[in-house]
Amino acid sequence: MLRRWGAGALNRTAPLPLFRPKNVLRLPRALAVRNASTASSSNAFESFLNSRVTLVSVSLFTAGSVAWYTHLYGSLPFLPQVHASLDSDEGLHPPAYPWSHMGLFDTFDHASIRRGYQVYREVCAACHSLDRIAWRNLVGVSHNVDEVKAMAEEVEYQDGPNDEGEMFTRTGKLADYMPPPYANEEAARAGNAGALPPDLSLIVKARHGGADYVFSLLTGYVDPPAGVEVREGMNYNPFFPGGAIGMARVLFDGLVEFEDGTPATTSQMAKDVVTFLHWAAEPEHDERKKNGIKAVILFSVLTLASLYVKRFKWTPIKNRKIFYDPPADKTH
Amino acid sequence: MSISTTLYNTVFRRNSVFVTTVFAGAFAFGIGFDTAVTTFYDRWNRGKQWKDIRHKYAESEE
Amino acid sequence: MAFNGLKKAVTLSPSVRTLPSGVPAAPLLNLAARAPADPHAHASGAGPRSDVPPRWTGGVSRTSSGLVSKTFTTLSPTTPSSVRFMHTTPAVKDAPEVPDFSHYRANDNDNNRALSYFMVGTMGLVSASAAKSTVTEFLKSMSASADVLALAKVELELASIPEGKNVVIKWRGKPVFIRHRTQAEIDEARDVKWQSLRDPESDDARVKKPEWLIMLGVCTHLGCVPIGESGDYGGWFCPCHGSHYDISGRVRKGPAPLNLEIPAYEFNEAEGKVIIG
Repeated sequence: MLRRWGAGALNRTAPLPLFRPKNVLRLPRALAVRNASTASSSNAFESFLNSRVTLVSVSLFTAGSVAWYTHLYGSLPFLPQVHASLDSDEGLHPPAYPWSHMGLFDTFDHASIRRGYQVYREVCAACHSLDRIAWRNLVGVSHNVDEVKAMAEEVEYQDGPNDEGEMFTRTGKLADYMPPPYANEEAARAGNAGALPPDLSLIVKARHGGADYVFSLLTGYVDPPAGVEVREGMNYNPFFPGGAIGMARVLFDGLVEFEDGTPATTSQMAKDVVTFLHWAAEPEHDERKKNGIKAVILFSVLTLASLYVKRFKWTPIKNRKIFYDPPADKTH
Repeated sequence: MSISTTLYNTVFRRNSVFVTTVFAGAFAFGIGFDTAVTTFYDRWNRGKQWKDIRHKYAESEE
Repeated sequence: MAFNGLKKAVTLSPSVRTLPSGVPAAPLLNLAARAPADPHAHASGAGPRSDVPPRWTGGVSRTSSGLVSKTFTTLSPTTPSSVRFMHTTPAVKDAPEVPDFSHYRANDNDNNRALSYFMVGTMGLVSASAAKSTVTEFLKSMSASADVLALAKVELELASIPEGKNVVIKWRGKPVFIRHRTQAEIDEARDVKWQSLRDPESDDARVKKPEWLIMLGVCTHLGCVPIGESGDYGGWFCPCHGSHYDISGRVRKGPAPLNLEIPAYEFNEAEGKVIIG
C-alpha cells in the first residue's frame, strides 16, 4: 500500500511511528538512511515525475490532442492519408439545422407535418412512392378522420377477387396504403431516364445526415462550378454524393399554397416536407421521447434507491469484526 | 412524536401493511407519474402537437 | 497479515551452524520435539499456538532441583528478529487501533430507521410500477397490430340494398350475410315458437333492427358457406351436409348444432351505414 502512494506519501507519513522506538534505538543508521533518501529536495521533481496524477494527466492531454486534431482535420496527425476518391464524391456534409423536433423533449411540429404532406402530395408524389404509410397513419397526426377518408376516397384501389374471381377497383379506405406513382420499378426507371426515385417512407433514416441531408439536397441545387461537367439530363447538387443527381430542382418559391397562410418559400417547403418525411420514417417519435423521459426518470430513481439499499444491506457485513474466543485449554 | 416515528408505526411496522402500501402506491404512482410526465410534455410542446392544432381544421371541416 | 507474521515468526539467528543438509546444528535444540497438540485446530497434527511460545524454544520446567528456566534459542519468541531495511509492511501494533466511527453514526435512530424502510419501499414501489408497465406493454404487443385493426371494420351503405335482397361482403376473411328483410319475413321469423328449437333464440335477440339481419355466413356445422333464399324454411341452406336455416338464421334441420353467428355491428344512423366489427 505504502509503496503505491509513491515517495510523496512517504514524506507525509514520516512523522508517524513506523518503527517501534526499540528498533530506532538499536538501529539508528537504518532510519537515517531512509530519511536521507526521502527527504532530499531533488526528490520533489522526481516524485512529480513518478506520480500517477502526472501520468494520467499527460495521457489525457495526449489523447485529447489527438482526438481534437482528428476531429478538426478528419485524419490522424503525422499519418498522411491518400484517398483514391475525391472528397466531392462523398458529397458536402450538410450543416446541422435547428429542427423543431431536435431536442430531447421536443415533438414534431404537427402543423409542419400537415404542410409537408401537402408538399409531398403536390410535388414529390409525382415521382416518389411512400409505401409504408397508410392513410390511417395520418389520422390524429396531421389530419382529421373525415379529411383522410375524403383524401383516400379520391384514389382508386384494385381489390379482389370478388365472387366471380375477378379483380375490381374500389375507392380507397383508411386501411389502404399511399398509392405509388408508378406501377413497378421498371415503370419508375423508364419514366425517369433510368434513375429510380427512391421510396420516401424511410428516406430520413436511410441517408447519412438524415433530415439535414434531405433538406440540404432539396435546397442545394446550384450551377456546377467551373471545371465540373454534368451529363445531359443530370443536375448538379454538391450535397449529393458524386455531385450529379437525376432529380432536378423541384421546389421553387410559391409552388404550393399552404392553407394556413404560411409563405411557401423554397426553404419553408423543404423544411415542412422534411419534417413530414421524418415523421414518416419515425412515426413513433413523439411517443418514444415521452417514454424515454419516463424511463430515464424511473431508472435513475431505481439506481439511486438500489445503491442505497445495497449499502444498507452490506454495511453490517462489511463492518463486522469476527472475534475468536478459544475455549479454555485443559490439555496443557 | 416525529414524522418518521409516525410513518414507521403506521406503515412500516407490519409487513403486510408495508407490502400493501407498496403495491397500492405503485398503482397510484403509475397513474400519477404518467399524468405528470404527460403534463410536462404537453406544456413543453405547447402548440406543436396535433391535439393543440386540430381545432383549426376540425371547425373548418364542419 | 504482516502483524500476525511478525508475531509468530521465529527466525533462527545466523549464528547457528548449519549442516550440509541444511538442518541447523544446534546442540541443545531438540528438533524432534513435537509441538503441543492444538485442541482447536482442524487437522490433528496442527502447529503450535501463536500465543504460547513453542516448547522447543525452552521455557520453565519443574525438575527435582526446583524450577529451571531454559532457553534453547537465542531469540525471544515475540519480537522481530531483525530490522527490516525495506519497509513494506505497516507498523506493528500491540493492539489494533479502532478508528473513530462516530462520524458515521446516525444522529437519530428513528429517522434512520424510517429512511431505510422508506428507501426499500420506494425501490419496491418503483420496481413494481416499472414491472407492471413492462408486462402490460409486452402483452399489448401480442394483440392485433394497427394494420390488422384497420381492416377489422367494414362499412356498408344500407341504402344500396333493396328490400328482400341479400348482400354478402367479406369481413376478416369471412363472408357476412346482410339481408334487408320484408315485413312478411319479419313476421315469419317472429311467429316461430323458438323455445323448442335446437338452439333456442328469439328473433329479437338476433337483430338490432328487425329489417336488417346481419350474420356470419359460415355454417356452424363444418364451416361451409350456406346458400341464400333456399332451404325448407325460406332462409339459408348449406349444400355440404344439408343444414337448413330459417329467415332469422336459426338452424332448423340438418347436422348444424348452432344458429348462424352474429358479429358485432353498429348502425350509423346519420350516414345510413352499418359498421361491422
